[in-house]
Amino acid sequence: MSTTVTKTRTPATERRTVPSHRAATPGPVRKNPVPGILRRALTGGAALFWTAIVVVPIYWLVVTSLRSKSDFTSDSPLALPSHPTLDSYRTVLDGDFTTYLLNSVVVTAGTVVIAVAVALMAAFSIVRNAGSRFSRVSFRVFLLGLAIPLQAVIIPVYLLIIRMHLYDSLLAIVLPSAAFALPITVMILVSFLRDVPRSLFEAMIVDGAGDWRMLWSLAAPLARPALMTVAVYDGLQVWNGFLFPLILTQSGDKAVLPLALTLFRGQFGIDVPATMAAVVLSTLPMLALFILARRQLVAGLTAGFSK
Amino acid sequence: MVAPALLLFGLFGLVPLVGVAALSVARWDGLGSISWAGLTNWTSVLTDSATWQSLWLTVKVMVVSWLVQTPIALALGLFQAPRGRLRALFAVLFFLPLLLSAVAIGLTWQALLDPSFGIGSTPGLHWLAKPLLGSPELALYTVIFVIAWQFVPFHALLYQAGIRQIPTALYEAAALDGAGPVTRFLHITLPQLKYTLVTSSTLMLVGSLTYFDLIFVLSGGTGGPGTATRVLPLSMYITGFQAHDMGRASAVATLLVVFGLGLSLLTTRLSGFTRMDSQQEGM
Amino acid sequence: MRGIPVTGHLGSPRIRRAVAAAVTLAAAASLAACGSSGPSTTSSSKGLTMWALNDQTILKQSVDAYNKDHPDAKITLRLFANDDYKQKLRVAFGANQAPDLFFSWGGGALNDYVKAGKVDVLNATDVNSDRYTDSVMQSATFDGKVYGVPVNGLAPVVLYYNKKVLSDAGVQPPKTYDDLLAAVKKLKGKGVTPLSLAANSKWPTLMYLEYLLDRTGGSRVFANIASGDAAAWKDPSVTKANQKLQDLAKAGAFGDNASSVSYDQGASTALLYTGKAAMEVMGTWEYANIAKAAPDFLKKGELGYTAFPALTGGAGSPANIVGNPSNFLSLNKSSKHKSDALTYLKDYILNGSQVDAYLAAGSVPPVKGLDSKLAAVSSASDKAWLTFVYDLVDKAPSFQLSWDQALPSDQADPLLTNTDKSFLRQISPADFGVNMSKAGS
Repeated sequence: MSTTVTKTRTPATERRTVPSHRAATPGPVRKNPVPGILRRALTGGAALFWTAIVVVPIYWLVVTSLRSKSDFTSDSPLALPSHPTLDSYRTVLDGDFTTYLLNSVVVTAGTVVIAVAVALMAAFSIVRNAGSRFSRVSFRVFLLGLAIPLQAVIIPVYLLIIRMHLYDSLLAIVLPSAAFALPITVMILVSFLRDVPRSLFEAMIVDGAGDWRMLWSLAAPLARPALMTVAVYDGLQVWNGFLFPLILTQSGDKAVLPLALTLFRGQFGIDVPATMAAVVLSTLPMLALFILARRQLVAGLTAGFSK
Repeated sequence: MVAPALLLFGLFGLVPLVGVAALSVARWDGLGSISWAGLTNWTSVLTDSATWQSLWLTVKVMVVSWLVQTPIALALGLFQAPRGRLRALFAVLFFLPLLLSAVAIGLTWQALLDPSFGIGSTPGLHWLAKPLLGSPELALYTVIFVIAWQFVPFHALLYQAGIRQIPTALYEAAALDGAGPVTRFLHITLPQLKYTLVTSSTLMLVGSLTYFDLIFVLSGGTGGPGTATRVLPLSMYITGFQAHDMGRASAVATLLVVFGLGLSLLTTRLSGFTRMDSQQEGM
Repeated sequence: MRGIPVTGHLGSPRIRRAVAAAVTLAAAASLAACGSSGPSTTSSSKGLTMWALNDQTILKQSVDAYNKDHPDAKITLRLFANDDYKQKLRVAFGANQAPDLFFSWGGGALNDYVKAGKVDVLNATDVNSDRYTDSVMQSATFDGKVYGVPVNGLAPVVLYYNKKVLSDAGVQPPKTYDDLLAAVKKLKGKGVTPLSLAANSKWPTLMYLEYLLDRTGGSRVFANIASGDAAAWKDPSVTKANQKLQDLAKAGAFGDNASSVSYDQGASTALLYTGKAAMEVMGTWEYANIAKAAPDFLKKGELGYTAFPALTGGAGSPANIVGNPSNFLSLNKSSKHKSDALTYLKDYILNGSQVDAYLAAGSVPPVKGLDSKLAAVSSASDKAWLTFVYDLVDKAPSFQLSWDQALPSDQADPLLTNTDKSFLRQISPADFGVNMSKAGS
């Protein structure tokens, strides 16, 4: 819980320092007459600029999805829709949107469960047998995995999936996605479990606990925050993943959301509002997650990358 | 207990890594059987100027992306780091692109940049009614911009986290010594962010090899106009899955692997990450 | 990578529990779903599978009719977007998961599958193929054997125009290439895009090259290329055709933005009926697209159409046409439902009600002896259009299948890329033929 403490302390100190700067400015003593103002103007300006760049497309996306087909070609793009309508959303939902959503949920959940479970076992074993050569080599293998671009091995993966008779099934996305989530997941879990005091494990060994019990009743509960973080990180990657679904599935009823979006574009043609409605709908689950659990989402996103 | 993880990763990570090298000396059209091709794929790939153009585009995307994203992400990180309601609101807005998939972003920007019905038809914004994605000169930079739109928030988060870790005592001491904001930035913030800078840069550089989804969608799957945005992964995809020359595509993919591994090695060497790796190995 | 940002608190316990429960449920569902959709995904043992493009709504009606009559052996129809259909089909055949019946353009792409032994021969008696127009059947006939039946309307490429925009600019529909260049100048002066082109999709640009080569050198030039003579790409008329395309582009015929417009997004169609562009060169399916997207525009009679302009001094007949003679349905050789499939092909494809439906939708099916049916069409604007298409095809000495379909599929990407580069003037007119002869050999 020490992290929590530092986190609450930082803003407090910050708040204290800011007024002290202010207090210092009126005095003619200091050499810098505009302390922090320059920095603030620069970063504030950059922030405003970037906010506009971020917000305008998203605003356009939402507004366009609420326009009727005919208004789309006649309204000014950034104006509010002259006849706001939910027709586009109806068009999308009348299609197979729920199938795609369900596929995405199934693929994401399947991948996350497999990747996290398997990685936790691996990380536990690597940490417990830190001295063994096998452990070190396995860890190295996963480190190497971090540098393999997924695109580069897609052809053999495709061949494998065909030979395993998994082509065009959801499992065809789940297995490779889980495999490619492993390196980072194992690494993060290893670095977390390494900080668990040895004495805790030793106490359990004295109690006669085997590896599985230690994993289940000690490592897993202790690593829960880390597990949550990697689950979110892996989940986001799969949820938004495009290449595996593109190459390893083809039928409409196996399409996950990102792939379905490209199908929508083909189907709707000129109906840009419908395509944009599909984009908005496909983002809603993420937005819900963001609202419900922003902290975990941020932690999951920057998993293992921020100090 | 390492076995399941090794098995899964071995099957879909390591076997394909060997497989891609093996297929690069094979002939396979995706329909029939696979046969030995010797080095013909390699000679044809390496003597084709299109390959080198793809490689050059990939490098260009990598370098320009880094140059564009790093200062913006750093500035945003600096802005977001202090806490406050207004800043928190901004932080939420910045965050939005991270919720969209690359495909969603690609479709949105493609429609948004349509010169006839997109943002360029807004009164006052007609200067945007250009073939931003259609002209061979502009398309690559437009793609790089959209990539930045997608990834800057992520890197800003990294910088924000990094900045929040800097002990405030350092600034207080510097303020007492009369250091100005520029001096403080150059002598405290930047050096303290070294680790974050390295992490963020590594992720950007290595990650840029994998910008496939977005470019695929933005160029309608062709890497066009002409071949102006046909980076290596896209070139591999088109050769393999559109022209059905899996052997040749595997040779391109092997180049990508070599490039990726080389880049990772290089960045870790240069940044002192190796020390960390060995720390971890020596646990 | 020490110390991941592990936040001590994980949101309220209730949310956490809810999330955990949801994840567990979804995971259970996922494993169940994965299990059931494992190896046996080929085709369901009972019915047939069929693939087509998603704009084929009338074809879909024939499937519905068949399914109504055969509830025990239904056809499952899957529809795809134009731009990625061919690739999906190829992959499916490679994975031995191809549908029983598949949709194609005939030509070299279909021949790829025939040569790989993936397509079944269709006997004339089995599918009643004698009732189809002979010139159309050529696209699905290899070594004298028929491998597909036409399923939809004749689709030659024609020149559409917005009557109001042309008359506002004081321009007559162009009869010759020189007329076209003159019209371009006038229309540009009026601030409209003379020719709407979805160059981002590349194949619409190819239509110009196909016509320009045919008009310049006659149908013989591409016939030589299609027969496998890659050196025929170096024919001087190929360079001339590219020169003409580049001249049009240089004159500003396609506006500044064509290279950003992709056909699947529909903007090129919209430019024409919103009056932002004056003309468009496109297949006959565009008529139905416009009817769907802008019915008022059609009703007011503002859509004009004519044959692609002639070329004074060119070797090709101005009556020659290019495009898609028709689309075809072919039978997968490894299908387990051949007799059902043949029943469908024989009795449900382009039968009486299908022909009527196509005519009603403004499309002329490649069936012999249509004159009486054409005369009976009630809507005057549709009748004029249908008669135009029927006569155009009837009087054409040659109906060239679009090149990207006529050539083997490994040449499609170089063809489209070089077309785009020629259009963008990244390569010289002469480079096109040189590059293509290299790609084809």
